[in-house]
Amino acid sequence: MNLSLRDDTIFGNGRAALLAAVAAWIGLTVFGSAQAQDMSFDLNEAETAPAPDKEAPPPEGGEAGGEAGGDVKASGSASGGDILSELTAEGGKEETTADERLPREKEVIEKIYAVQRMYVLRTGRFELAPAYSQTFNDQYVSHPALAAGLNYWITNVLAVGANFLWYQGLETDSDLNFTIRRSTRLAVPVTEYQLGAHLNFTYVPIYGKFEMFNDSIFQWDAYLVGGVGVLRTRPVPVIDPAVRTFDFGWRVAFNAGIGLRVFVTRWLTVFGELRDYLYMEKLENLEVALGKNREDETTWIDSNSTLTNNVTVSLGFTMFFPFTFEYSYPK
Amino acid sequence: MSTTKRFAISWMTIASLLATLGITQATRAQEVQVEGPLAGAPAVIGLRIYRQMRFQVQLHATMTLEDEFSRAILPGGQLMFHPTDWLGIGVWGGFAAGNIDSALTDEVAAKGQTNSVNVLSLPNRQNFTKQIGRIKWMAAPEVQFIPLRGKLGIFEKLFVDTDFYVFGGVGFAGVEERQDVTAATSNDCRGRADLAAQIECFEPTQGLRSSRVAIAPTFGAGLSLYLADFLAMTLEWRALPFNWNTSGTDEAGDPRGDFPDSQVNSGDHLSHFNHMFTLGFAFYLPTTPKISSVDSD
Repeated sequence: MNLSLRDDTIFGNGRAALLAAVAAWIGLTVFGSAQAQDMSFDLNEAETAPAPDKEAPPPEGGEAGGEAGGDVKASGSASGGDILSELTAEGGKEETTADERLPREKEVIEKIYAVQRMYVLRTGRFELAPAYSQTFNDQYVSHPALAAGLNYWITNVLAVGANFLWYQGLETDSDLNFTIRRSTRLAVPVTEYQLGAHLNFTYVPIYGKFEMFNDSIFQWDAYLVGGVGVLRTRPVPVIDPAVRTFDFGWRVAFNAGIGLRVFVTRWLTVFGELRDYLYMEKLENLEVALGKNREDETTWIDSNSTLTNNVTVSLGFTMFFPFTFEYSYPK
Repeated sequence: MSTTKRFAISWMTIASLLATLGITQATRAQEVQVEGPLAGAPAVIGLRIYRQMRFQVQLHATMTLEDEFSRAILPGGQLMFHPTDWLGIGVWGGFAAGNIDSALTDEVAAKGQTNSVNVLSLPNRQNFTKQIGRIKWMAAPEVQFIPLRGKLGIFEKLFVDTDFYVFGGVGFAGVEERQDVTAATSNDCRGRADLAAQIECFEPTQGLRSSRVAIAPTFGAGLSLYLADFLAMTLEWRALPFNWNTSGTDEAGDPRGDFPDSQVNSGDHLSHFNHMFTLGFAFYLPTTPKISSVDSD
């Protein structure tokens, strides 16, 4: 049977091509597999100890790997011009070189990091912070409050959130207010708070550790907090209480503060904070209009607003959600 | 059982479990520190022992807080010896370099009103600054306890050794108050014909001052930031609660309760917390601290 020209051509040229392909395949298979052994990034290989005869030769002898290396070198040199043998022999020349470049990892039971991982990672977690707050600098009226904050940590050092404080029903008049009125016949215009609601940014510039009696270690951090919000306040009638009454009104308030947070667990902390809420307060008018104007509500409030610093100390605890987190390592 | 009650009990149970879990986790976290290859090792090795067997000579400035009528600025010093790294014994003190009157004092001096009822408390509003109480000096032998030692990182660039301490001792405060106005003097002045005569009688008593030493417990806490092996910056809060008459007015003494008794005396010494903030720089001698060994506990 005569083959077509095409077939002849094919088979004619194809035989050479086929032989070349086979040779190439053999070469790639053998040579490539040797390379594959060296270039493998198999996780199991990285974590398991290699066989003793494949260990890199030690700097100074005595170990099994060194013997293998010596044998490899001996066989490599003995085989001389047989390149394929050299390539495929155990601990062959190429493999020895690769071994020397890539130190073998030894199996270890535990890994000890020279620098310990951060105890807590905050990124992507929510933080709920109930607290008790107390005004620090108002000597006439105390403004205790029950507070709650909620933060979301955008990064490990930056969070955005909000806090809410409830004051009404908790405030008390101080003794100083009473004694001043009695001894000097002066009335101090005071105000009453109802609630506060603020949006905040929190930044952690300081991170630290404390050890106790060289036995245990705990982590802490210090943070800066600031933002804007509203307070709902009203004057307490002291100048003309027989006639004047006031309703709560909204005041825009800016806040800035510092805090300290101690980590009890990876999701629970206790904290203390000092924050100043600045706002323009409306106080009772110290002057009383006479006649019918006395009952005019527009005369009850001082026309000038007073810049007020409500410095507040808060103590509470925070909970991070989710409770757990995962460390990510560079690839 | 109502739904609300059931809901509350459920959340309380969950909260209790979470709290227990937290405690358990804390325990487990501490166990991690003492298991494994580091088991039995101290928390820190090669620790700079800043305090043990060193003298601490500190210069500081103190400012009183939440003052009603007058704030005291007290520069001073502290000398302390530390037999161990966690214990110190010494003495703290300061003299009032200045007293800053508060805005309330200015308001009373400008707008205070006098009538036949409060003529003893405020004979003349313009002399009110002469009758208010002031702190002149303070001193306290005390013991310092340093339970926490560590370091902090600022912006992940600057690292500073720190320690946290608490202290307690006996405080002595030199105070200057309005001199006592006895019942005899008060009755004599109140017996005058009119208010103007009463004011004229009581007015000289505003400027008469007397000094005494108040003894009270003192306590507080502080933070030391070690800038060098021999130098630290200290931030300290202190309280020295005692009774004194800050306003120079007649506030109490009546047997029926906290009512004026027409006298200015020890009965008008009202309780005050007297807390203050101190910023100081401490020098340690000898200048080189010891370093704990690898095998030390």
